[in-house]
Amino acid sequence: MTSFVEKEGMTRRQFFKGTGILFVSAVLTGVFAKMGFDVQAASDEYIAKRAAGLYSLDESMTLRKSHLNPEIAQIYKDFLSPGEVKPLTAKSERLLHTRYGSEIPALIEELKHPAENEAA
Amino acid sequence: MNSILSDGVIHVSDRCKACDHCTSICPTGAIHGRLGQKHSIKTAKCINCGQCLVNCPFGAINDQSMVSAIQAALTDPNKFVVVQEAPAVRVALGEEFGQEPGYNAKGKMYAALRKLGFDQVYDTEFTADLTIMEEGTELIHRVFKAVGQAGFEEAGPLPQFTSCCPAWIKYAEDNYPKVLPNLSSAKSPQQMFGAVAKTYVAEKLGVNPANIFSVSVMPCTAKKYECSRPEMIASGYQDVDAVITTRELAQMIKDAGIDFVNLPDEQADKLVGTSTGAATIFGVTGGVMEAALRTAYEILSGQTLDKVDFKPLRGLKPVREATVEIPIQALGGKVLPVKVAIVTGTKHVAPVIEDVLAGRSKYHFIEVMNCPGGCINGGGQPIRRDIYTEGGLL
Repeated sequence: MTSFVEKEGMTRRQFFKGTGILFVSAVLTGVFAKMGFDVQAASDEYIAKRAAGLYSLDESMTLRKSHLNPEIAQIYKDFLSPGEVKPLTAKSERLLHTRYGSEIPALIEELKHPAENEAA
Repeated sequence: MNSILSDGVIHVSDRCKACDHCTSICPTGAIHGRLGQKHSIKTAKCINCGQCLVNCPFGAINDQSMVSAIQAALTDPNKFVVVQEAPAVRVALGEEFGQEPGYNAKGKMYAALRKLGFDQVYDTEFTADLTIMEEGTELIHRVFKAVGQAGFEEAGPLPQFTSCCPAWIKYAEDNYPKVLPNLSSAKSPQQMFGAVAKTYVAEKLGVNPANIFSVSVMPCTAKKYECSRPEMIASGYQDVDAVITTRELAQMIKDAGIDFVNLPDEQADKLVGTSTGAATIFGVTGGVMEAALRTAYEILSGQTLDKVDFKPLRGLKPVREATVEIPIQALGGKVLPVKVAIVTGTKHVAPVIEDVLAGRSKYHFIEVMNCPGGCINGGGQPIRRDIYTEGGLL
């Protein structure tokens, strides 16, 4: 969008005015969209603000690495891999992992009829 | 719930002005109709992302609501209603109450959910941390297999794609079934939370999982589809019962007459409510990758990572790449250049997949988020009408 604005010598506000007029006329809007203009670009400003909000929240947290979360250690030790912190156990695989596409019907069967050695 | 699977989440209403803007937004060509013709959505191609909805200049596109099921559960004395909220919700919810985008509404969000009657207010960020543990370990196994380390023969192929975004998952299933073995098998944080709530949480709190009603607040419309998928029953029940968007939560808060901006800040409930900064950035493009690298680096190198910000991964460019050098303790400190890529916007993912299928891809790990900018710009977020009113349109 930046290059477009520079080429036409328009300010941002004038640019939006122009867009607004085009929108009122459905025909021109369609043509405009087909030319490849992307109103998405106009939303970059608020997207950047929301992103900045998350990054500053991250910076404000005492813990910033997932494996240091004490409740994560607890769910592994108490439940997923008793006594230790060990991802990808049979229990984790069943509760926290999935399959895709053509493998889903078989997964549903397994979940509805848990194998004898790993009963729910 | 089944109607979502058969009819999709997103629908064009009678208010459609036939302007054809949505067809230029839709990443999959799922919108039927030409200029001057009322549009409709082809469910089979739609990935439920809701980008057409948030970008429609006339507010003529809607997503299916699950609010009434949630209200019924909240008033049912036999139901134990738990709630989780995605990271992106807390930096956008305030916009519905006059705050700037990015305003941190986390503490007020927890407080409002308690006022609405939820029995336990947890946080999706907890299972985002859990996702890093599972998905990060899976990546490490795939890398070890690729370098010929014994004991990892069962691991999947490289590169590994992230699997948090349900719109991306459906896109891959619909269009590139051959790339599915490259997708991480880890469920999204929302679905991990659902499975954990009706097993671990039920056990710890002594609640019958049959009575738990599990609600999710998401910046996303595709999450409604994801929770309805028939395989999401690992707990023995439907893992997540209902999903509402950031917009719908704001409406519930307003309908209940809660004075949101003056609420005191509260904390999430313990057990599955604590999280780290790594989980927080899941809501922005590049964030899942950055969170994964923070943990993978420490686990693989055995060293403490002092500088946790991976700035080259950040930004709004649709496709970005970076190389992170990690000394691998298990290989005697040999440095492995880990090559990663980040894609934001499903329109840009096809060439990346084509490279993988052709064996040309140089990456180890690829993050894909459907919405431009990530979940913060999801189809369930507050609609920024001002980008149109600024032009004097509406």
